[in-house]
Amino acid sequence: MTPNAASPSSGLSGSSGSSGSSGPSRRSFLASTAVATAAVAGGMPLLAACGASDTTSRGGSSGGKGAKKLLPSYVAGNVVSPDIPAKNGSAIGFTSKLDLAGLKTSVPKKLGKGGKLTVMSPFWGSPPKQDNAYYKAMNDLIGVDVVWQNQDGNTYDQKLGAVLASSDVPDVVVVPSWNMGGKIPTAIISKFADLGPYLSGDKVKDYPNLAAIPTDAWRRCIIGGKLRGLPQPSPYVTGIVPLYRKDIFDKEGYEVPRSADEFMSLAKEITNAKAKRWACMDMKWTAFQAFGVLSGSEKPLGWNLVDGKLINRIETDEYLEALEWTRKLFAAGVVHPDAKMGKNAPDPGPKFAAGEFLIYAQNITQWWSRTAEQATQNPDYRIWGMDIFGHDGGDPKLWAEQPAGIFAFVNKKASEAQIRNVLAVANVTAAPYGTKEYMLTNYGPEGTDYTVKNGVPVKTTQGNNEVLNAYVMIASPAATIAHPDFPDVAKAQVEWQQRMGAFTRKSSFYGQMITEPSRYTNLMNDFEQLEDDITRGRKKISDMQQAVSDWKSKGGDKLRDWYRKLLDDNGSSAN
Amino acid sequence: MSHSTVPRSRAEAHDRADRTSTASDGTTKTRKKASRGKRTGKLSLRLRFRRDRVLLLMTLPAILLLLLFNYLPILGNIVAFQDYDPYVSDNGIVSMLHSPWVGLENFQRIFADSAFWNAVQNTLVLFSLQLVLFFPLPIALALLINSVVRPRVRALSQAIMYLPHFFSWVLVIAVFQQLFGGAGVLSQLLRQHGYDGLDIMTDPSTFKFLVTAESVWKDAGWGIIVFLAALASVSPDLYEAAAMDGAGRWRRMWHVTLPALRPVIALLLVLRVGDALTVGFEQILLQRDAVGPGAAEVLDTFVWWNGVRNQDFGYAAAAGLIKGVVSLGLVLAANKVAHLMGEQGVYKK
Repeated sequence: MTPNAASPSSGLSGSSGSSGSSGPSRRSFLASTAVATAAVAGGMPLLAACGASDTTSRGGSSGGKGAKKLLPSYVAGNVVSPDIPAKNGSAIGFTSKLDLAGLKTSVPKKLGKGGKLTVMSPFWGSPPKQDNAYYKAMNDLIGVDVVWQNQDGNTYDQKLGAVLASSDVPDVVVVPSWNMGGKIPTAIISKFADLGPYLSGDKVKDYPNLAAIPTDAWRRCIIGGKLRGLPQPSPYVTGIVPLYRKDIFDKEGYEVPRSADEFMSLAKEITNAKAKRWACMDMKWTAFQAFGVLSGSEKPLGWNLVDGKLINRIETDEYLEALEWTRKLFAAGVVHPDAKMGKNAPDPGPKFAAGEFLIYAQNITQWWSRTAEQATQNPDYRIWGMDIFGHDGGDPKLWAEQPAGIFAFVNKKASEAQIRNVLAVANVTAAPYGTKEYMLTNYGPEGTDYTVKNGVPVKTTQGNNEVLNAYVMIASPAATIAHPDFPDVAKAQVEWQQRMGAFTRKSSFYGQMITEPSRYTNLMNDFEQLEDDITRGRKKISDMQQAVSDWKSKGGDKLRDWYRKLLDDNGSSAN
Repeated sequence: MSHSTVPRSRAEAHDRADRTSTASDGTTKTRKKASRGKRTGKLSLRLRFRRDRVLLLMTLPAILLLLLFNYLPILGNIVAFQDYDPYVSDNGIVSMLHSPWVGLENFQRIFADSAFWNAVQNTLVLFSLQLVLFFPLPIALALLINSVVRPRVRALSQAIMYLPHFFSWVLVIAVFQQLFGGAGVLSQLLRQHGYDGLDIMTDPSTFKFLVTAESVWKDAGWGIIVFLAALASVSPDLYEAAAMDGAGRWRRMWHVTLPALRPVIALLLVLRVGDALTVGFEQILLQRDAVGPGAAEVLDTFVWWNGVRNQDFGYAAAAGLIKGVVSLGLVLAANKVAHLMGEQGVYKK
């Protein structure tokens, strides 16, 4: 991907690349821009940040008054002005030719002071060996020996709790916000360092690339009343795109569907199990979008004020309708059999390339990464994103994602020198598009991981294997999309975001980092599982209704009151 | 040392004689018991300790490991009575001291949790299936291998049967998926011939048979090792004598081979029953999503899901503790049954 995109995305693109099942993508990584931020800021009252210890059990929000003092100053670092400026919550896009000879240097002096830094991070795809050319080149540039402990991103939540409970927490731990369930927020507060003394206010200016990260993304890093995380900014437009095989669609004369019914009939037309072809994978996320269901990527986003009452996504009719429609797809036999296996399913990439199914919903980063992956061996292959349709054929009703969804935290036990080393890493990985640091972070060293053909960088096989989602997880620049190797993809991605952004609204708690009181954190644990049981026909919609009423009585209603108080204190972010 | 060798080897010889006679005639059992009592009664504890000190020394590392990894962690069960928060400090023990006590609340929640009872039910059904469909197979295979005369064929077939044991579960399930999955070889073959594809890997109603079939494919061959060893210890004289008395192949198996295997079978059965609530963790976790927890959740995955995934450690520890207590009861009961059947079981008073 590109710039940021590259970063986050590529990061995730790992997934895209090779792995992938479902994980990363569900949430959007791509970048959000400063612009998006600014828009929000007005509507977002700041709340007093709670004291750290209180927050642990009582919960809290980053929306407080105290937050302002903690936030790093914003100093724009325009190196190259984008061809497509951000709009409607999109990333910034770069589509013109990159002047590889004229790359700027954003980190003139090596800030790393040597020494080793262990980083645990979710990874989508197969992690490369530690001593590969890309990691070596990055470590040389930074001046720190970063050692990666990569864990499968799709099941990261299953490892995180155990690692944080041990006495052997790595120096840096990357935590996506969708993995912050259960007691993880408590762990973050008690195990990770306060970065405020190094970054708050003007102190961030020691690290110019970090200073150029939008304030909205930083605000999300305030947890337990302290600035703890390094953010990966993302666009607030949804990151999940229904991706399809444009080459096969064109050949067979299929038209992109514009309603739930059209999708269903197209899916039936495509499916020919005898010839090993199905229409799609699990389309649950697309269904949620098409039916206008509140975001499920982070618990606070699932709440919205409707007619003076806070409601949760699971209480809405749209939620049930989306599940029912997805169930019908499975029941109609148009979904590839692998999808029934849920998270245990193998990587869909090769089967998509083989044409076993033609549509799947995944992170926007895969739009580019799958393209790059197949470019040499499969020249006809063309993966493209379709616009999200409204279920009734009208405009879709989409909900904004958070302006930053992945964070890197530093171990509390780290010395000042180590913390500065981490910031040195982040200052390189957050370099903006058009710099040498950006190019190395997202394409690796020239000659081994990419080669230049006709002035365009083209990733080699080694590059596709090595330059995945590692360094970008530590921090990345304002959401950026730029693929010098596939500028048409970059253009289409940003345009897709801007079109979808026009249909996107913000829910009540957009932009805040909220920690729920610990007694409520487990209430929602089993809903995702139940959704999958229902769509695959193992349980009924009535089981969901029962689960929702249990949820209410077991604490859901009390949690509603808690959120209500937060809303009364902080005001709403909704627009 | 040499002085101690004598009585021991004599005792061994004695013991072996006893065992043979037991095998052919169950009534000598009492005699054996009596003689053993006399033998051990001769020496005081101190003397026996001195006599066996080298052997005891050799067991020391194993005992240390046992203490460190099996007994010490038992103390951790106290978190079952806490709302345990491992994140309040960097040290598990300090965290225990700082976590609030909740008495039996975790247990009350568990007994009221339908997901727990679902896991118990799945566990028991799976155990019963494996007991009926899996347990006898290694015995049959061992008899089969034992009847093969040519050493080469025998070694080869043994090797082939052992092999799947060394595949990881990830691999085994991937192989099953390739063959029997919804888009796998079998389903595609059926579709090409005008039939519907099969739903073997993702059908909750047949999931337990699937799990059992996978276990059989992977581990039945490995399970024959113990039985083969027991078969090797049967004296050929017995077969000859039985043959002289006119016993055919089946009678020889019934009256000679199976009685020889009986103590081993009883021992393994006791161990298996004691382990009834452990029906495979990795294997099931890898397929939990494919059929949903309704069909696939067993006690171990329940504990894992609640403890590691949801960080509800106190709750998970309580479920684990219940499992441990019930398992202990099962071992004791099964051992008792083994004694009643006249077998050694796992231990003897």
